[in-house]
Amino acid sequence: MREKPAIIGIGRTKFGEHYELDPEDLIDEAGLMALDSAGIERKDLDACYISDYLLQVTNKIGLEEGFISQLLERNIPIERMRSFSSALLNACNAIEAGRYDVVLVGGMEKMTDRWSKIRDNLMLLEDHWAYYAGGTPETNHELLLREYMKSYGIRGESQEKLMMTLAQISVKNHHNAVKNEYAHFQREIDVKRVLAARAEEKRVLGLYDFAPISDGATALILASPKKANEYADSPVYVLATTLATDYISYASRPYRAGFIASKISMENALKIAGITLDDVKILEAYDQSTVFEMISLEDLGFIERGKSWMELHKNFEDFKGFYYLDGKEVYVNTDGGLKADGNPLGATGGAQIFEVVKQLRGEAGQRQIKPDGDLLFGCVQEIEGFGTKVYVHILGREKCGK
Amino acid sequence: MGSEPIERRVSYVGDRLKGSRCPFCGKEYFRVRKYCGNCGRISLGKMEDIDYFYEKGVLETCTVVKEPTNRFIRLGSYIYGIVSFHNGKVRVPGRLTDIILRNDEPINLEDFEGREVVPRFRRRYSVERSDIIPTISLAFTFADEYYPHQEYEIIRPSKEYEAPGIVGYGVYVSRFRIKEGGIERSVPFIDEDAITAAVESGKLSLIHSGVDHRLVGKIYAGSESNPYAVNPIASKVAQVLKLGEEEKVEGVQGVDAVDTEFACKAATSMFKDAMALVCYPKNPMKYVMVIGADNAQAAPRGEPGGELDFFVGFGGAAFIFGKEDVIAEAEGWYSCTSDTPDFWRRDLEPYPQHGGRFTGEPAYFKHIIKAGRKLMERMNLKPSDIDYFVCHQPNPAFPARAAAILGFKPEQYAPGLYTSKFGNTYSGSSPIGLAAILDQAEPHKRIMIVSYGSGAGSDAYLFVTTSQIKDKRSRQKFTVRYQAENRFLQYVDYATYRKFKEGL
Ligand SMILES: [Zn+2]
Repeated sequence: MREKPAIIGIGRTKFGEHYELDPEDLIDEAGLMALDSAGIERKDLDACYISDYLLQVTNKIGLEEGFISQLLERNIPIERMRSFSSALLNACNAIEAGRYDVVLVGGMEKMTDRWSKIRDNLMLLEDHWAYYAGGTPETNHELLLREYMKSYGIRGESQEKLMMTLAQISVKNHHNAVKNEYAHFQREIDVKRVLAARAEEKRVLGLYDFAPISDGATALILASPKKANEYADSPVYVLATTLATDYISYASRPYRAGFIASKISMENALKIAGITLDDVKILEAYDQSTVFEMISLEDLGFIERGKSWMELHKNFEDFKGFYYLDGKEVYVNTDGGLKADGNPLGATGGAQIFEVVKQLRGEAGQRQIKPDGDLLFGCVQEIEGFGTKVYVHILGREKCGK
Repeated sequence: MGSEPIERRVSYVGDRLKGSRCPFCGKEYFRVRKYCGNCGRISLGKMEDIDYFYEKGVLETCTVVKEPTNRFIRLGSYIYGIVSFHNGKVRVPGRLTDIILRNDEPINLEDFEGREVVPRFRRRYSVERSDIIPTISLAFTFADEYYPHQEYEIIRPSKEYEAPGIVGYGVYVSRFRIKEGGIERSVPFIDEDAITAAVESGKLSLIHSGVDHRLVGKIYAGSESNPYAVNPIASKVAQVLKLGEEEKVEGVQGVDAVDTEFACKAATSMFKDAMALVCYPKNPMKYVMVIGADNAQAAPRGEPGGELDFFVGFGGAAFIFGKEDVIAEAEGWYSCTSDTPDFWRRDLEPYPQHGGRFTGEPAYFKHIIKAGRKLMERMNLKPSDIDYFVCHQPNPAFPARAAAILGFKPEQYAPGLYTSKFGNTYSGSSPIGLAAILDQAEPHKRIMIVSYGSGAGSDAYLFVTTSQIKDKRSRQKFTVRYQAENRFLQYVDYATYRKFKEGL
């Protein structure tokens, strides 16, 4: 078995609107923080993997690698991916293959500069026929919810409970973000507000059901196990990093009440990491909408298909900060998730990993969770497009699972 | 700037909803594929062409879009969802069109889901004024509302006639109306224009006639409201309706297509040309299609040319001419022309002007009466020998007066009068009247049509219906009367009418 790469440093900016900053300013800030926390210098880097979705469109930057080279004043290999998870996966592959020892993985996005056009641009991540037919970045989330409700016969009172549960997910994530100094929204909301937004907009899902449009950057330093021991006292190992894909056209997929790619990616990740679902006590789910958080818990195997709304509804009757699922505690989106922490696409995965690394290391401060038993493993799910690419990362304080 | 190659490829697939079917396992794909994912190599090159253009689907799941992306903003709120065809063998995204969602009414998505829908050919979204106008058929309407689903069945002709004539026809008028001063006028939905009306009426004429689309040798599209100054409507019609033999390698249709323009007689002028082509002694064409379609434009009231704003309508009529299975044989024709500029629109001007008082006696009446009288004279006919009379209908009063001057009685001309239902549909005006008569005429009835086009001229024709007119009637549910008296009509206010006419 190849030895697992380790995260030895991590950094991020605050998410939100960074009116004064260019994308390269953002990545500079996150990158320096990561280097600093790893206790290494720029010269120690062998390569960089960076990510952004839309800089070419939003900021007219076409060769991001050059900006990073210039910031680092290095001529090392640098490659640009779309998502942070993609950059991490490729960095892991390179380290596991023995090519590099120390790699910077960074992600950035500057979406607010293109406020008036960003929703059109986001449609680039979907089937173009959906765009031509009048789809918006929100419509598929609403269709997913409709498909889910129809597949599992959720109507009437059950439907009301489900809609209430989704509102509570949003409230929960906002609550979590209050303790997250980097979050886009560091403020509480209540259920009434979520419901009022839906009613006002006369839509199935409203403003508070969706993650915002944010600016921000994240970075981490990934090292081979050999180097990790050299630099870090408490490295966090990337025990598994998997990717599964699905059709670009959501309408064409045989199963439309969830994401099959999430299921496949998670199953593979657990196998590779050598752990079971019971070992995962913290999960960063890709809650681009409240529907995503609810359904991802099914896709990832935490809850049986069609039952998530019911299980979560029970949990929210007396919420204690974690979901109590199948006799065990699972903390989900302790940083506020995409909903409240923010969603600067190319940087988002880095923030999810940031949270799990901080929690595993016991450095999450006010947000630190204290589940029953040791907190050894955490899981991150990042989605590109509408369930088109799903990445799962299993992070652990130990080199391998049991 | 629009991206022409992308536009062309998207419209090639999307206007007609082209796909493929695997001959081995039956799996279907939206957009053309060379092989089947289930069957692999054996299916390579053996996939069958299919399209969903004449099919009906089911709106499986939907949601309401309140905040569209930028290019869809002018559509306001709309229903968007997943439409399945062939019992779920294929699913496509789709937008419901021809629905005005009112903000104060609650929307229950279950009222929409599970219902049958028909693909409609519409404008896709807003573009810059200098761009190519994008179209698509991923717009749908409910099959149980205004526009019914009708199968297109190709029927082998059974009889050849001596004289050429009308083999089939189709009329398309939109679902929306404005009602003012006792008359109703058709209003396009915001994603409609003269191009979409031309395609719709052409499609309906194929359905009615049962003519094999591959045998249409030429298509004329007459209009004065083509949204392009340069770029034909006819080429769109030819490609969407697959007129002529399809040459798949090059992606061209083996058909001649051309637009014609002469105000409101742009279509009727070509009837005789169409009939000449099907009678050409060497290598005649089997069928020729003539369409008159207009989204008649008018300046806002109070501005020069604004008088027209009280009468303009929207719609199109298509006629297929041939010599086989004719429903109305042409007996004769006469046309007259003079340089009378009673109505005009200069290049780059959005709205036409007209000559006020000058448009009646010296223009409209002079030409219509001359053409009508002369044709009767030539054919040695009296008004009483003619069962039905229809002429151009710019307003309710003019056609009745012209008919009376020519000696026709209300029972002869009333069946073809639709201007108080649709307004003046310009190139579609007298052709829609003719279609309304054909919708109800018994066999062996004589019909006279006299068009009028400003500029100016009139075309008069005499047709005599055949026994086959009754045989084909059952194939067209979407008759003129059905469209005029439909219970799903929606009435809009003046502001909405202006906005819809302006388009995306
Ligand atoms: Zn097959």
